[in-house]
Amino acid sequence: MKIVVPYKWASNPQDATVGTGGAVDWSRAKPGISEYDPAAVELARGLADATGGEVIGLTVGTKAADTTMARKTVLSRRLDRAVIVADDALEGAGSAQLATILAAAVRLIGDVDLVITGDSSIDGGGKMVPTVLAGQLGWPAVAEVSSVSGTAGSVRVERAIAGGTQVLEISGPAVLAASTDAAPPRLPGMKDILAATKKPVQTVTLAELGGVPASAGTVTVKGTTRPDLKVRKQQLIDTKDPAAAAAELVAALRGDGAL
Amino acid sequence: MTVNTWIVVAGDPAIGTLIATARSLGGEVTAVVVGPRQVADTVAAGGVDKVIWLSQPDDVPVEAFANAVADTVAAAPGVVLGGMGPSERVLLGAVAARLQAPALTGGMSVTLEGTDLLVKRTIFGGIAEDSVAVSGPVVLVLDGGSVPAATGSAPVEQVAAVPAAMTVVTTKPSEFEQVDLGAAMRVIGIGRGLKTKEDLALIDGLAGASGSEIACSRPLAEGLDWLGRDRYIGCSGWNISPDVYFAVGISGQLQHMVGVRRAKTIVAINSDPNAPVFAEADYGLVGDLYQLVPALTDALK
Repeated sequence: MKIVVPYKWASNPQDATVGTGGAVDWSRAKPGISEYDPAAVELARGLADATGGEVIGLTVGTKAADTTMARKTVLSRRLDRAVIVADDALEGAGSAQLATILAAAVRLIGDVDLVITGDSSIDGGGKMVPTVLAGQLGWPAVAEVSSVSGTAGSVRVERAIAGGTQVLEISGPAVLAASTDAAPPRLPGMKDILAATKKPVQTVTLAELGGVPASAGTVTVKGTTRPDLKVRKQQLIDTKDPAAAAAELVAALRGDGAL
Repeated sequence: MTVNTWIVVAGDPAIGTLIATARSLGGEVTAVVVGPRQVADTVAAGGVDKVIWLSQPDDVPVEAFANAVADTVAAAPGVVLGGMGPSERVLLGAVAARLQAPALTGGMSVTLEGTDLLVKRTIFGGIAEDSVAVSGPVVLVLDGGSVPAATGSAPVEQVAAVPAAMTVVTTKPSEFEQVDLGAAMRVIGIGRGLKTKEDLALIDGLAGASGSEIACSRPLAEGLDWLGRDRYIGCSGWNISPDVYFAVGISGQLQHMVGVRRAKTIVAINSDPNAPVFAEADYGLVGDLYQLVPALTDALK
């Protein structure tokens, strides 16, 4: 079974700073394999091992996704090899465009049975890349997948639905978006890190995949701002006597109808 | 200038906000509904102009109709709205791929400006917002809202569709009661001001007395592992809107506060008078949480 796991080399907005004018500064954020992608790798690994298959990491991004460190970090995860499309023309590309390039790369890899993605990227977080990718490939997609079993061309998938779970059977290739806790990611050990440098990496140019995809709709950013946090009362309650402070707070909350 | 819109419905008629948004753009509103007849009828009564209905057999998941929905919308590419749920996203992804349209998420408001759509979005987990002008076909993934009240009766046109080869084998209700922080009326968020995991008992007391769910800032769920990852609030975690949010021992970084900005009232308890949380709080108590939390628990009993 040939399984492709798309991953993103990305920074966590937790580590970004936002200026008063709204500019997002990523310079202090350290990029890595996006938070939820390792769960997809583990899910794919489990299925590949059960069926005697291969797990291929695939990324599409800027040149930052193809440094020695990025390669090593990614390949120390339980992937067999990686395919990397790194081009600075992709700076600021939208999720639909990235998904279109991923689809082209999946076709180039060829004979892929399943694509398993993480839940969402840690930076954009729109959760649309897996589903647009499926649309581009013409394959069915299922999100919130917690487990997968079966063989090439016929898989059984468990996914979360409102108030429970559902088991689906899918014939033919498909795109599955793993839930964030689908499989606990294993932290790479020293052996994995050493093995990483020996795993094959294939670089594919953006041109080989048709360049930056044309978009029928255009999106122009007009401006960025810090979020409008609600104006708060900012009323300080004297805490010299904790019991009195607590009573005052409870009275105030009751007065506001908040309790 | 008006804009015609499509609304994509994946078995769940909770699309009140989508209908309102589509209506505000002034053009014709067509809903493509995958689901049972009853859902198509609810949508038809909810204020759209027309419903195209793809009947979903019980043992076929909504997702099997993604390509069929894309075919339907491709007849008149334009502005396509849909909700944020997993099945909605699958249908919308197929539509975006077919139309070669951008897919925008995090939209808070959509207005018409000349011939463009102006979309205000929250980006990067909520730490910033941007405004984008969109022209041409676009897929907008928005909060669906609630089930619309019955106000009209649009025609329902059934369209035959061939689903993809996927079937539902079993459906099981969840064994556990899930923590739904999103629906909690009161939430206590704890941060690094709490010294040890054992001190969670103190917070449990306050939670019991105030009828609150317990949540936390990111380090407690991910670095320290005191609470599950499903309990952390902020950018890349929960965004909640309770009546009261108690920030206990939380400094109040932007990444945390964006997750509670829709709380009606915020109470902050922190020993550092300079903690940024006090600027975002309605009521601030500067002091030792180990004294203030028990006092507050007693006062609530």
